[in-house]
Amino acid sequence: MARNSLDREYIRIRVLALMMCVALGFISLMLWRIQVRHGHQYQRDELRQSVRRVRIPGMRGRIFDTQGQVLADNRPSFNIVIFLEEVRQPGTWTRTINHLEDMLDELSETLGVERELTREAIQSHIRRRLPMPLVAWRDVDETTLARWAEQVAGRPGIDIYTEAVRVYPQGALAAHTLGYVGRADLVHDDIEPFHYYMPEMEGRAGLERRFDAEMRATAGARLVRVDAVGYRHGDIAVREAGAGQDIRLTINHHVQATVEAALGDEPSAAVVMDPRSGDILAIASAPGFDPNNFIPAITTEEWRLLSGDERNPLLNRAVAGAFAPGSIFKPVVAVAALENRVVSPQTIYDCSGIFHLGRASFRCWARQGHGPLNMRQSLERSCNVYYYRLSLVMGYDSIYHMASTMGLGRRTGITLDHEVSGVLPNDAWKRRVFNDAWRDGDTVNLSIGQGPITVTPLQMAVVAATLASGGTVFSPRLVSGIRPFGEGSFTSIPPEPPLIMPWTAETLSTVRGGMRDAVMGDRGTARLGRVPGLIYAGKTGTAQFGPRDAGRTHAWMIAFAPYDQPRYAIALIVQDGVSGGQTAAPKIGQIFQELLAGEESS
Amino acid sequence: MKWATIRWHLRRSDWLLTGAILALMVIGILFIYSASFQRADMPVGKMYQRQIIWALVGIAGYVTLAMTDYRRLAEYAWWIYSVVLVLLILVLFIGHQVHGATRWLNVFNIQLQPAELAKIAVILAVSRYWARPDRDMSSLASLVTALIIAGGPFLLIARQPDLGTAATLLPITLFILFAGGIRMKFILVLFLIGLMLAPIGWLGLGNYQKERILVFLDSSRDPFGAGWNKIQSQIAVGSGGLTGKGYLQGTQNILGFLPRTVAPTDFIYSVIAEEKGFVGATAVLTLYGIILLCGTRAALVAPDKMGRLMAVGITGMIFFHVFVNTAMTIGLMPITGLPLPLMSYGGSFMVSMMLGFGILQSISIRRIRR
Repeated sequence: MARNSLDREYIRIRVLALMMCVALGFISLMLWRIQVRHGHQYQRDELRQSVRRVRIPGMRGRIFDTQGQVLADNRPSFNIVIFLEEVRQPGTWTRTINHLEDMLDELSETLGVERELTREAIQSHIRRRLPMPLVAWRDVDETTLARWAEQVAGRPGIDIYTEAVRVYPQGALAAHTLGYVGRADLVHDDIEPFHYYMPEMEGRAGLERRFDAEMRATAGARLVRVDAVGYRHGDIAVREAGAGQDIRLTINHHVQATVEAALGDEPSAAVVMDPRSGDILAIASAPGFDPNNFIPAITTEEWRLLSGDERNPLLNRAVAGAFAPGSIFKPVVAVAALENRVVSPQTIYDCSGIFHLGRASFRCWARQGHGPLNMRQSLERSCNVYYYRLSLVMGYDSIYHMASTMGLGRRTGITLDHEVSGVLPNDAWKRRVFNDAWRDGDTVNLSIGQGPITVTPLQMAVVAATLASGGTVFSPRLVSGIRPFGEGSFTSIPPEPPLIMPWTAETLSTVRGGMRDAVMGDRGTARLGRVPGLIYAGKTGTAQFGPRDAGRTHAWMIAFAPYDQPRYAIALIVQDGVSGGQTAAPKIGQIFQELLAGEESS
Repeated sequence: MKWATIRWHLRRSDWLLTGAILALMVIGILFIYSASFQRADMPVGKMYQRQIIWALVGIAGYVTLAMTDYRRLAEYAWWIYSVVLVLLILVLFIGHQVHGATRWLNVFNIQLQPAELAKIAVILAVSRYWARPDRDMSSLASLVTALIIAGGPFLLIARQPDLGTAATLLPITLFILFAGGIRMKFILVLFLIGLMLAPIGWLGLGNYQKERILVFLDSSRDPFGAGWNKIQSQIAVGSGGLTGKGYLQGTQNILGFLPRTVAPTDFIYSVIAEEKGFVGATAVLTLYGIILLCGTRAALVAPDKMGRLMAVGITGMIFFHVFVNTAMTIGLMPITGLPLPLMSYGGSFMVSMMLGFGILQSISIRRIRR
């Protein structure tokens, strides 16, 4: 038995050895088949093969406003291209290049377009992108296309190649928000290496940049077989490019256009929010620019004009500009005082036009003084002395905390680049920056929105919306939905949950009442902004900046309308304006009037 | 160690085996150089130098194990097996991750791949278990136990995931069981069970693994991804012709059609076949054939069953790697990532193969009949 079992083992080991030999023999046989019998075929393949991978960009996602109006779109661009492999000439490269030049000259005459390609450009194309079609004219117009169809179409080796190009149908509308795209600088990646890249766009500014990953499509690819010389031999396979996702904004193009019209061309900015939801209805900065100028690439001259302009049209003042708020800060101080029970709405301070603190004196803008005022009147007439006194009674700390609660001194987190936080000073800040303690003079300055404090128009729109909504501090939402390609409806991007402040009805009615009087009252600072048939509330500000004796001021106003059930909250600044009442208020009035008219007509 | 002992070992050792091993090692290093010489970037450009170091480490291991009585090694089989199990479990927790698979352990800055050692450990453990004189080879219980011994490391390696390496444990175990005298009925039943489990296994595969198999069945399915290597490897091999394009002349790998990341590792055979043609490719196969026959001879002359089974297991392991790798290179099998013994770039793999050969030599040296 043992003998038997050993024999069996030996037999089996030999069986295994035989099997292994057969297997290796089989591999050799296959090698013979591939390398020797069909070797020529593979050698031909290998010689001629040389497969090239071409990356094809996908269709970029679009940007819509809240009503479905398209703000950033793609349009076809018609390029006239020459397929080199079909027009190649035997012999030296020079003959092919000469032939190409002749073709281009003839085409240029037939189509009535000036020749764009130099001999050097053709040579460089042959050297670097031989298997790719040579683009003779990019983005030709309709006349040229018509001539093409009549006289050239069907000729071998010449064809129209269509590619998608970004277009902003509304021109300069919301340019700072949308941003623009530019030619992507594609880096070679090892996972899917490409030999050739077709022009592809990437977001360079604004939402185009912030949502680039969403709007950018997955690229397609084409496998092109080139022959031994390097000409295209044929396509092996194509993987279709994908399409990017569309995004939907909270912006309403009608509101946006209204606001931009009111701002005009002088350096200014405005933000309109819906105080019921925190949605941004319009966000504008002037002067603006037309993002279409950046497509496909901005010319050097245009770029010099834009970047060299002293008014800085590329800056989005609504989020990237920080300015002293001036008197539009007073409602914040008023809410802080009332909520901290420092004063009552009936508390009266007397304004003589000047306020003395130690050896320093602080003026009210009304030289003769306002006389005795309660809080509501102080807001209507924007008395400084009232707030000087009030602030010293309550202390800067509660002002600081209230302003901080309403979002001043930090970024709102809106999905736009370059947002700044502004400055909300306190003792620690002053020690850090000026190495000096906080003094009563600082408190007095802060009470009327002067001194180191700076805010962005967007932050003040949030403050306006907070007052309009009765204490709801919103995180402003700009993008409300995203839609994968081919799907009918947008997937909603919910807003950040707001912070709801438990302010008393008395506080709200006093502060909001004071702001109402500022517009509607006979001595209100914002009376120039009145709109027939509309009762609304607002607060003007005339913020000094720069050296004191220069006397330069920013004109501000925040407002919400209608007074009873606000649907719009707005903050507007005109840089270097005369005053809030004279410069900003009429613009706010104009905006509200047109928004009202627009609502009625629709 | 006394000179007499050394001389005894030298006199009795299988020089054909040693010669074939050294020849393959040298060829491997030459072609790793060919596959990577035009890459200026440091880490890859120096691949062949590092492979030389691995080869030297491997030779040291080979000599040491050849001079160690394999029966003493077998006494530690369970210890070695347990240590490898622990290492495999460690990999899952503190392993070093590359391309989504966790396969490496960092030990003193050296990246260790415990899955490679697992092959040797499984051979030792299964042989040890199966070689016991009182083992009833017709009992289902002992068969199941043997399968469980191999199944532990299998599952741990498959979990990394490294299905290719895990899969090698299967034929190794089957070779040992078959040579050890398992009943044919069981072999057939195992085969049938395997067939039935295949669809279930398919569901358990990761997407990239499925893709590789689908690509094998239809390489135009993904000509950009996994299909690329297969097409390009086939063209490389085919264009080599009878005598090849010459050393350092392989356009497929020099132009980068055969991806430079895999040419020195899994596709080294394709570089050889392109540059040295059918003649070179079959010469290499012949060297492997010699090694397999030396392994078979070691099994036939082994002094005991333990040695016999270990020799069969090691030979089976070498065979499986060589067959799957060359078949993959010429497009007969899906891309599995199994390297070619002694030639593919890689330290853990080189050392574990050399340890296996050391055991083989040790068995051969202690032979009882000619």
